Amino acid sequence: MNDDLLRLLARTKDGRNVDPTLGTLSGEGAQIEVRRPPSEAFPAAREVAQEMPSVLLDATAPSYYGLPMLKEPVWTWMIPAYFFVGGASGASSLLATMLELRRGSGWRRLARRARWLGVIGSAISGALLVVDLGRPSRFLNMLRVFRPSSPMNVGTWILSVSGASDSAAALLRGRRGILGAVGAIGGGVSGLMGMPLAGYTAVLLSTTAVPVWQQSRKTLPLLFMFSGMASAASLLELLPVAPHEAEVLRRYAIAGKVGALAATAAVQREAGRVPRVARPLKRGASGTLLTVGTALTAASLVASLWPGRSRHKRLWSGIGGVLGALAMRFAIVRAGTASARDPHASFEQQRAGLGAAEVTGPSAPLRGAAVRPLGS
Amino acid sequence: MSRMGFFTDSTLCIGCKACEVACKQWNQLPDDGFVFTGLSYDNTAHLGASTWRHVAFVERDKPLSQQRAGVGDFSWLLSSDVCKHCERAGCLENCPTGAIVRTEFNTVYVQPDICNGCGYCIVGCPFGVIDRREDDGRAWKCTLCYDRLKDDLEPACAKSCPTDSILFGEIDELRDVARARLSTLHAQGVGEAYLYGASAEDQPGTGGLNAFFLLVDRPEVYNLPPDPIAPQLKQGDAWRMVGVGALAMAAVTLFAAFSPPASRRLR
Repeated sequence: MNDDLLRLLARTKDGRNVDPTLGTLSGEGAQIEVRRPPSEAFPAAREVAQEMPSVLLDATAPSYYGLPMLKEPVWTWMIPAYFFVGGASGASSLLATMLELRRGSGWRRLARRARWLGVIGSAISGALLVVDLGRPSRFLNMLRVFRPSSPMNVGTWILSVSGASDSAAALLRGRRGILGAVGAIGGGVSGLMGMPLAGYTAVLLSTTAVPVWQQSRKTLPLLFMFSGMASAASLLELLPVAPHEAEVLRRYAIAGKVGALAATAAVQREAGRVPRVARPLKRGASGTLLTVGTALTAASLVASLWPGRSRHKRLWSGIGGVLGALAMRFAIVRAGTASARDPHASFEQQRAGLGAAEVTGPSAPLRGAAVRPLGS
Repeated sequence: MSRMGFFTDSTLCIGCKACEVACKQWNQLPDDGFVFTGLSYDNTAHLGASTWRHVAFVERDKPLSQQRAGVGDFSWLLSSDVCKHCERAGCLENCPTGAIVRTEFNTVYVQPDICNGCGYCIVGCPFGVIDRREDDGRAWKCTLCYDRLKDDLEPACAKSCPTDSILFGEIDELRDVARARLSTLHAQGVGEAYLYGASAEDQPGTGGLNAFFLLVDRPEVYNLPPDPIAPQLKQGDAWRMVGVGALAMAAVTLFAAFSPPASRRLR
């Protein structure tokens, strides 16, 4: 009797009901490793069970019991955190390269700091990205192909080249001979790569089926890039600096914050072409977070513009800038999750002609949809 | 090279879920929990990492043309959903590792030994098909029974379908079958029947589906998008704006770093 029970347990613990004494596991899905009971592995299934829909049928806004049509992103907090760190790192590298190009010894310290912010930022970025993978040990598979259609693949190459050239510039620049030349080239390359490093993450988000991200693809890159500049300047402002350095950082910060605030409004506007799509930017946790982030950025902009050169003012401007940029990244990512959960966001977007019709023309695609509503 | 696929005729589906069971059994997929959803007879709810076929149960308060319900106005639309193996596949084009490939049967296949679980295919799919199982860490979806196809067998779901609602075959032949079935239905007075994703003309955003459907109501009621697109078709816009942003960044940085600071002038 006990043996039977043990066999029953062995048979069912991976949820396959394959008796190992009678069958072999060789099917296409046999490699799926089951480590946790399905109730833990699939919290979504529990949610579905708990949400009893009050209205099953709605002729004006049909859906399948209100269930999500898309799968929501599986990324953890590390991805929005990376968006912040990567953006700051890229903008910082660009600033470092420009300051290195400017002659005069007065700029060396700030250039070096900006350079090291870029290097450290790249290292943290890499760590965040690797740890967030479902299979972190396979992170190098990202570099086994070059695939221009995948912004994540392109971005991994950008981050790799940027990190390597940044490090070369930080460690080798100013040395004599070939090493020095490598460092100088590294400085130039990292400045060039810093710009796409700050912006590609927006392309990564908008090249998805998630309505709010896809629909803000023309403004999101600007938001991320300006916010990257504001982040870099804000982080550097937290360190004690000389007045002429503070002036450079102040300009960089003001431009970044003004740009980020304008781009936030532009994102709202672009996504708002279909109100349902823009909803998570206004309501819910993501909407609140975006409002808070915008307010923090605006407050830190006021601090930057305020006359005077006190260290406290700079500190407040820096802290506000960092927190504002962080909140914005988390808000945008969370808004994507909310958007993917809302089937009507996709449906209304596509019915409004902002699905495939936007690219392929309005004639054919809605044919299936042009079916008469029944009973009419 | 053959181009194989599915034609799922939802008007023939009786909701027996034999396809779901056959898929689970043949592919040795683990269970993903036994939940009572309360949504008609659908306790599967959606496709996922270890659910590669899903039968939708749509309850409507209006009858299908030429059909009379015993009590009141009612109709039950049943349809077996599956990975569409799109001609332009959002998951494949988003995959940064090359783990997702197109096979010799023109199907879309995830290589489990390459996938590193980045999760980018999941948001790339306009149908919400592919998913990651958290304890496994990798993305999984229907393989169109790649192992069976290599042995000249039809996929398990199609083999087990008792009404031939799921047909498997060469995509061109399936299209002919589907068009013939459509005209039969139209002739019988079921005017609302139409083909979903049967060709690139039908669904330019995906270039046509290798698993296409015959439906009798708007796609939304089956949880299908009315006008899906492989998101990569739109990424040119975003990259162009990165270019614009880069120019702006370069200009601002140049100005910030090179213009004589006011503080120095003051000194």
